[in-house]
Amino acid sequence: MKTILYVEDNEFNRKIVRHLLGRTSYRLVEATDGEAGVATAREARPDLVIMDIQLPRMSGLEATRQLRADPATAGIPIIVITSFALAGDEEKAREAGAAAYLAKPYSPRELLGMIRELAPES
Amino acid sequence: MCANEIESRVVSTDLAPGTPSGLGEKIARLLLAYSPLGSLVRWVSRLRASVHSKLLGAFLLIALLLIAMGATSLQSIASVARQSRLLDQARERVDASRQIEHALGLQMNFTRNALLLRDYATIESMFRENNRFRDTFDRLEAAAPPEQRETIQRLRTAQDKVMATVARIAALIREDKADEAMDLHLSEGYPLYREIATLVTRAVRTEESGMGRLREGVEATYRRALLLTGGFAAASIVLALGLGFVISWSFILPVRAADDFLAQVAKGAFEGSIDVPNRDEFGALAARMNHMSRELHQLYEDQRRAAHQLRALNSQLEQASRAKSNFLASMSHELRTPMNAILGFTEMIRDGLYGEVPPEIQEPVSDIHTCGKQLLSLINNVLDLSKIEAGHMELAVGEYVVEDVVNTVKLSLRSLAATKGLDLVTTVPGDLPLCLGDGKRITQCLMNLTGNALKFTREGRVEIRVEAQGDALLFAVSDTGIGISPDQIGSIFEEFRQADATVSRDFGGTGLGLSITRKLVELHGGRIWVESEPGKGSTFLFSIPVRVAQEASA
Repeated sequence: MKTILYVEDNEFNRKIVRHLLGRTSYRLVEATDGEAGVATAREARPDLVIMDIQLPRMSGLEATRQLRADPATAGIPIIVITSFALAGDEEKAREAGAAAYLAKPYSPRELLGMIRELAPES
Repeated sequence: MCANEIESRVVSTDLAPGTPSGLGEKIARLLLAYSPLGSLVRWVSRLRASVHSKLLGAFLLIALLLIAMGATSLQSIASVARQSRLLDQARERVDASRQIEHALGLQMNFTRNALLLRDYATIESMFRENNRFRDTFDRLEAAAPPEQRETIQRLRTAQDKVMATVARIAALIREDKADEAMDLHLSEGYPLYREIATLVTRAVRTEESGMGRLREGVEATYRRALLLTGGFAAASIVLALGLGFVISWSFILPVRAADDFLAQVAKGAFEGSIDVPNRDEFGALAARMNHMSRELHQLYEDQRRAAHQLRALNSQLEQASRAKSNFLASMSHELRTPMNAILGFTEMIRDGLYGEVPPEIQEPVSDIHTCGKQLLSLINNVLDLSKIEAGHMELAVGEYVVEDVVNTVKLSLRSLAATKGLDLVTTVPGDLPLCLGDGKRITQCLMNLTGNALKFTREGRVEIRVEAQGDALLFAVSDTGIGISPDQIGSIFEEFRQADATVSRDFGGTGLGLSITRKLVELHGGRIWVESEPGKGSTFLFSIPVRVAQEASA
């Protein structure tokens, strides 16, 4: 069973992914800020991280960089959810070490496709 | 140079300005420092007179000295001439006296001969000689000075007596009374001759001593004239040199001070001032330069203040720009986060994630999704425009395929065209090169234009046409819609504009699409325009370089 970590501060968006993955075999772990996201990733060792770019306490980009820098978590693929706010967000996400990025608002169907591609359901 | 470093300096003529050095210069400096010439220079400088008057005064002074020298020389020459004339006169008188002496001797001789020879003819020649004697007396008397007159008078009286005696002797000879004549000669004639001879000798001596005095006087006058002329010449030279020195230095010092001062001003030291004692043109010039320096200083200060204000303003603007940028980023995120939930949940409901959707709510769910998408599009447009306005719109330049762009637009809008019963036709040549630009933004532009065309067309067709024109790509979107009147074409690309206020009620839209499209096209270094005929349709065209420069940004 694959574990997915979703780091997002908005309750409704977390609920979407919870519902989306509810009917799959994935196990969902949630965190509501960057620091907690990094701590949870180290603890739970998920197979995939979905990281919102704008988070309290620590930005999604910084959290991504920290996970990539830590040998224990460096191998985990990360999908960065950008707000498509400014040009260069995607570039920054890639530089921070994201495996893929998705602009908000994303289609749940599209997100599920991306999850299945990066961490195939066993 | 920072203003704090500028020390207030006074350039004064008392300072030794940086000027050419040399022996002459050193001597001049010593003279200025240790001789009264220095204070004279300052005095001349302070004279309230123009340079012209000062020079004129100096030349006049020298000219006066030369005139005085000339006058003295002339006077000496006149004096020498007068004394020479007196000398000549004295010499003449001496000559006359000697002639008298000589004539007297002759007379005595003749008288003696007459007495010896008892010859009347000899007596005659004696009288003749006597007449010449008289002439000489007349000459002598005319030339004699008053003190000699008495002697001459006595001579004349003695001579008259001699002549009377000679006449008597002659009469006695004529009467052959020779012995009586001889007695007369010895008793009266001879003593009279002696007396005359003594008088003449005395007169000659007097004249000769007078001549000696005159000669000494002439020599003294000559010596004095020589001394005076030499003295005047020397004084003229000294005066000319002195005045030249004083006047030239009274000009040189302020000129050098001005030179120094201007050099300082040129270096940016505006706070100094020039101080010269001159009250002439140089003084006026110095005052003018001080005024200029103050004005320059004022200007410099103003400019510095303005630059400072500009820097402060610039930093404020930068801060404002950063704040705006941050605001845009957070607004974008804050708006998209709830939109994400709305659209996400709707999509999951529609996709049956929560079970079969009852047929009666399938349409409302779909409507929520459509409206959500529209709201998202509006939000995107507003944010795009804000980004463009704030100068934060950057192009993500990369390679793109024109055909992909056109197909994306066609696929997105196909259903809208079908709903309205319109034909959506695309014409893209197959031999277009791989292009460089922001493919997503170009897609957005074409999408905006095509969406508008579909929106404003009730029947007919909409065509997307692309062609290569040299180094440019031309995108054209034609419709058979309502068209735009000529007076509305000018403002069609401005924000919040639609050709007609009623149009938005009929067709919807915010009027932001065209404005954003124009700015994106311009960011690509291209241009956009429209050709239209009301009632027949419009063609929107934009042309962008095939390969856009990488660093293009707003």
